[in-house]
Amino acid sequence: MSKAAAIEAVNLTKQYDNGRGCRDVSIRVGKGEAFGFLGPNGAGKSTFVKMLVGLVTPTSGHARLLGEPIGTLAAKRHIGYLPELYRYQEWLSGEEVVRLHAKLCGIQRKVADERVPRLLEEVGLGLRGRDRVKNYSKGMQQRLGLACALVNDPAIVFLDEPSSALDPIGRREVRTILARLKAQGKTIFLNSHLLEDVEALCDRIALLNNGVILRHGSVSEVIHTRTRWLFKVGGLSPLLLEALREATGLPIRLAAGRENAPDSLNGLAPIWMEAELDNEEQAGWMNALIIEQGMTLYEVAKAKERLEEWFVEAVSGLSQRGERA
Amino acid sequence: MITIMTMTWKELLRKRVLVLTLLMTAVFLLAFWFVADTLGYRNMGVFNRSGDIDLIEQFTRGAFILMLGFFFGGFVLAFLAIFSSFSAIAGEAEQGVMQAMLPRPIPRWKWFAGRWLGFVSLGVGYALVLFVSILAVTSAHAGIPRDPALLLRSFLLFASVVPLIISVSMLGSGFFSALGNGVFMTMLYGAGWLGGMIEKLSGSLDLDAHLMQPLNTITGLMSLAMPADAIQRQMLAELLSFDQLTDFVPLTDNIFSLFAFGNLPSASFMIYTAIYGAGAFASGMLRFQRKDL
Repeated sequence: MSKAAAIEAVNLTKQYDNGRGCRDVSIRVGKGEAFGFLGPNGAGKSTFVKMLVGLVTPTSGHARLLGEPIGTLAAKRHIGYLPELYRYQEWLSGEEVVRLHAKLCGIQRKVADERVPRLLEEVGLGLRGRDRVKNYSKGMQQRLGLACALVNDPAIVFLDEPSSALDPIGRREVRTILARLKAQGKTIFLNSHLLEDVEALCDRIALLNNGVILRHGSVSEVIHTRTRWLFKVGGLSPLLLEALREATGLPIRLAAGRENAPDSLNGLAPIWMEAELDNEEQAGWMNALIIEQGMTLYEVAKAKERLEEWFVEAVSGLSQRGERA
Repeated sequence: MITIMTMTWKELLRKRVLVLTLLMTAVFLLAFWFVADTLGYRNMGVFNRSGDIDLIEQFTRGAFILMLGFFFGGFVLAFLAIFSSFSAIAGEAEQGVMQAMLPRPIPRWKWFAGRWLGFVSLGVGYALVLFVSILAVTSAHAGIPRDPALLLRSFLLFASVVPLIISVSMLGSGFFSALGNGVFMTMLYGAGWLGGMIEKLSGSLDLDAHLMQPLNTITGLMSLAMPADAIQRQMLAELLSFDQLTDFVPLTDNIFSLFAFGNLPSASFMIYTAIYGAGAFASGMLRFQRKDL
């Protein structure tokens, strides 16, 4: 295995008696890379992460974290992990929980004295860290989980749905923290349904469905990014639309999902058209053609194909429930 | 391991398990005081014709009070051991506490041993408080044995129920859900206790040996499944020097048999009990090592 890999899994498999789990998952995540792991509910994402962090023993295959076999103490020293479903000891205060994790990681008290309050501040708990965990909301528990995951200053951070219970401000804070971690050179393995988080942070992604990787690669590779342009025009008629298509050779159409009035093609009301263009020059040419044809151009907008659309398209038509016949 | 053990202490203190147990123990001791006062020599004919204290009668009263006290004490200790540990693995896995803790660089055996030590140390500490309290209350109203070596042996037997039950409970917690294990442990302890009780009572029945055979087999199996009650009987036999005093003190009377002795466990059975406890501990640890969380 390459020394440069932070995470390297080869045919990692976990088969449960009920047929769930994941099969022959092979991935490689480089040091300092942010990797997004996507898939519908029950796809086997959490099982895969649990194998990597030593909670679940693989049925077959092997993996290493920074060259250390998964499940070993040496591998665990490199990681911070925020599980998806978890609770901390509710009879402890938030600060005591983070200190407990620091102790388990062998962090000296002096270091913990400096680091724990700083982390609590960073994740937005601050002095609420002195409250008992039993009084925490789900969002506060998630913030506490993030502080625990980072207490040992890990080289690899595994995050399983890190912001699913957070409000929009909390999500933005978590995204900022993750961006900072990435800037510090940490390797981030992100399991998330919040695709905008994945899109904003991750360099590469993999899509898991029914325990098997369907696609993987860089974000732009896997979603085949094409730029979709939107034009809001007045005076469009079916004849003019056909003339535009002939002139450009592009599949120009009325924009889906836009509120186009029923009689808009008779030229009375502004209308949204859309076209997939290779570059901005083509967009400029389209603008010129629209003006030349005597139409009014109100607005031009660029809309990238979103990860969410790609995700839905990739798993549509496939069984996602892992049922056995 | 020390970190996990101190976390366990903190858990039992903060969850008020110990406070409630001590509070209820205080209530029991208060009631026990009045029982001991009623049964003690102050209200009984323990003086002989010359007006001196009849030592045998005083010891007999003391023995009876001790048996009553440890009859209850054995129950309380066993249930404290069960209820403090029955969800040690399954409960924490169900709640997701372990999912957050075990990816830390700590071997699973240390986690298991730390939890076990935490539960056992607190249980044994409570056993000491209970043991001394029962002896002190009895001593205020009747005679009790005062040989330190004998008291130490008795205490060790009394407290040994704690590691035994906690080992089995943590083993069960590796297989069953928290609720299922709580029910399993209560039933298992109940079966062992019932086996011991039937054994005690059957000893006082004048039945033919061949009629007793099936009963003995069943009670034997029950005691093998959970030997805690047998340990308690052995503890009382040690405390009251059963083998030495049985000619002077009527310790085999039916009323004593009901609370205490019956057939005392053999040395082989005590060895079996030790192996049973150690086996449960080792199996529990092995199960936890391999458990998917």
